[in-house]
Amino acid sequence: MTKPLVAIRSVSKSFGEFQALKNVSLDVWPGEVMCLIGASGSGKTTLLRCINQLTTIDAGGIWLDGELLGVREHGGRLHRLSEQQIGRQRLKTGMVFQRFNLFPHKTALENITEGPTQVQGRKADEVRAEALELLRRVGLAAKADSYPAQLSGGQQQRVAIARALAMKPMLMLFDEPTSALDPELVGEVLAVMKELAKSGMTMMVVTHELGFAREVADRVVYMDQGAIVEQGRASDVLGAPREERTKAFLSAVI
Amino acid sequence: MKPAPALAEGFPDLSGMRIAREPHWFRWLSAALIVLVLAAIARAFANGQIEWSYVGRFLTVKVILEGTVNTMVMAVLAMMLGIFLGIVVAIMRLSPNPVLKSVAAGYTWLFRGTPLILQLLLWFNLALVFPTIGIPGLWSARAVDVMTPFLAALLGLGINQGAYTSEVMRAGMLSVDVGQYEAAQAIGMGRLRALRRIVLPQAMRVVIPPLGNEFIGMVKATSLASVIQYPELLHNAENIYYANSRVIELLIVAGLWYLLVVSILTPLQMLLERRFARGTLRPAR
Amino acid sequence: MTRLSFSLAVATLAAVTSARAAELPAEIKQAGALKLTVNSTYAPMEYRDPATGELVGLDIDLANELAKRLGGLKIVWSETPFAELIPSLQTKRADFIISGIQDRSSRRETADFIDYLTTGPQFFVLTENTAKVATDLCGKKVGTTRSTAFPLEIEKWSKQNCEAAGKPAIQYVPGENSIDVRNQLKQGRIDAAVQGSETLPYAQTQETGKYRVIGEQLSTGYQGIMFRKDDAALREVVTEKLAAMIADGAYKAILDKWGLGANAVAQPMLNAASQ
Repeated sequence: MTKPLVAIRSVSKSFGEFQALKNVSLDVWPGEVMCLIGASGSGKTTLLRCINQLTTIDAGGIWLDGELLGVREHGGRLHRLSEQQIGRQRLKTGMVFQRFNLFPHKTALENITEGPTQVQGRKADEVRAEALELLRRVGLAAKADSYPAQLSGGQQQRVAIARALAMKPMLMLFDEPTSALDPELVGEVLAVMKELAKSGMTMMVVTHELGFAREVADRVVYMDQGAIVEQGRASDVLGAPREERTKAFLSAVI
Repeated sequence: MKPAPALAEGFPDLSGMRIAREPHWFRWLSAALIVLVLAAIARAFANGQIEWSYVGRFLTVKVILEGTVNTMVMAVLAMMLGIFLGIVVAIMRLSPNPVLKSVAAGYTWLFRGTPLILQLLLWFNLALVFPTIGIPGLWSARAVDVMTPFLAALLGLGINQGAYTSEVMRAGMLSVDVGQYEAAQAIGMGRLRALRRIVLPQAMRVVIPPLGNEFIGMVKATSLASVIQYPELLHNAENIYYANSRVIELLIVAGLWYLLVVSILTPLQMLLERRFARGTLRPAR
Repeated sequence: MTRLSFSLAVATLAAVTSARAAELPAEIKQAGALKLTVNSTYAPMEYRDPATGELVGLDIDLANELAKRLGGLKIVWSETPFAELIPSLQTKRADFIISGIQDRSSRRETADFIDYLTTGPQFFVLTENTAKVATDLCGKKVGTTRSTAFPLEIEKWSKQNCEAAGKPAIQYVPGENSIDVRNQLKQGRIDAAVQGSETLPYAQTQETGKYRVIGEQLSTGYQGIMFRKDDAALREVVTEKLAAMIADGAYKAILDKWGLGANAVAQPMLNAASQ
């Protein structure tokens, strides 16, 4: 039996008084496209950020590609890993943010080549060739030398996706990738994500785009108040939800 | 589809009329008053007991020119030291390490909490506390031989400046959206690399205007080094009037040179601001 | 200065003071006070007592005695740096200056001096210094207050006594005031210092055994009370009172109090310095 790419076991996280994650457990399989849906504050973004350790968990464990994240076990206790080790673990994931977070002082091409050349120490010309290929893949080959301020929101987000892919991650994390976009620009980003899903990339997508979920997701997970309420095939969760809370959420959203 | 409704009566079409120019009486009046006041001041100075021939005579004398050059050299070097220290201390202040944080806070407190002239005097008279300085076993020297007026001025001005610059830098780094830092972390960058390649370059845009201001202040702060015998502009002007008693005339000479230097630096600062705004000032499509 | 010009000076002064009893200018009489500026970093002439912060010194005592004898006048003192003393006289911020200032011909363009104390720049070193005679200081670093005329004196002396004898010139090092100069001497930044000879006995009592005078005074001169040239009336009345103080021993008593009995003058003199 193959192992899950991501194994989340009994993870909890609080921000002061507020409990964002309550004892969450979940598996993500290689090649799977998973969509996480739910209201704001439901914990879906927090869960995503725990996987690439932008947020540290309070309890439980997350394994990525079989490796325990953020800590190591020794003598019955957990010891935090060093900053370098955590950085290395982060290389296995790529993240696309709601507000793109492109580096404004670098061109689109430079944004993409920054990680591979600086962090992975790869050769500049090799990286440049790959970066141009990625730009072509997201439909922005002509914008290689443009600065983020010269690009539309949709174009920026596509560059951001290329930037994440340049690190050759095994898992792509999307945190509400189209929420900050004007409606007419959402389609171009979803198109890139669909192509990525088709190519076999494992993806976890926090989104409100239920149409996208229905079309592309292998599994939909509905979260509410820090816990997983319901999960299953898109057609099941979105078309015929079992739980009352799921039904209430969907009727409010659609 | 319904036709557009007819417009209501009583609102005439003004599109053909032009807006008349306002006479701005008050502006003319106040301008005239200001010109009169300035003219009166100028006349008072012209008729005052100032021997303008001395001003002209000493304006380009060798020691004054040397003093101006020394002022500029010290301002630039001390500012560079101040910026370097400011960046280091700001990074320490934002570090998760409590030891580094406290050291940074202590440095800022100490050097912002004492007057600059006091710090200059302490550096210059260091040999009263440590007659010899050095690295045990490797090198030692008399403190007075090492602590020349130049070095005392550089250390005094630069280390003091660092305390102020570190606050400017810290504000600049905090002004960079935290998402930038997270995006850098997401592609595997460690804290220092992310600061160096992503946060600091963006902080520069916010930091240049106050740093430009600080530099202009530094040019004038160098005049304090006159009391520790650094031969900058004020010191040299003083030496001349100690000999010929022409106090006001020589102070005017020095003042004119300070004004000239600052007047040249101000537009240069604006050019620098524009360079660092690259990539952010261009309009989005 | 020549005996002839000295005698002339004394004679003129005697003639002037005996001709008529001098009158105190009206504004001062009306104000009931003298406005005086002083640079109080020059012990024992004028300085702040470290314990009480009070303004004390030989000049202060002389001024107080003069003010008493001028009809019980008060004195309003204001502090200035040394370089501001002469301007303060010119701008009438001060009625006259009694602040350890030397009578020099370069200063007589707009002012007159009533000389009241002998003085002169004097070399001194730390006691442990190996220099024995003044010419041992040729080629060495010598410091003094830069706002005085002493740097020029050092340069002149060095030309005459060092360079003329084929020795290297003295290297002049500037200082802000006499305390700064002594600090630099203690730290070893300079090998020797120059100060007015009247300040040295005091420095030696403050830090016994620390300093050693070396050689003769670079030049001899007088400390003078400085008056505006057009203020002859005030100058005469002050001279009269000073002469009286010398005659009845009050002057000598003050000088002895500060250890400067040896610097006394026999009479107050008008512009008697030859430099």
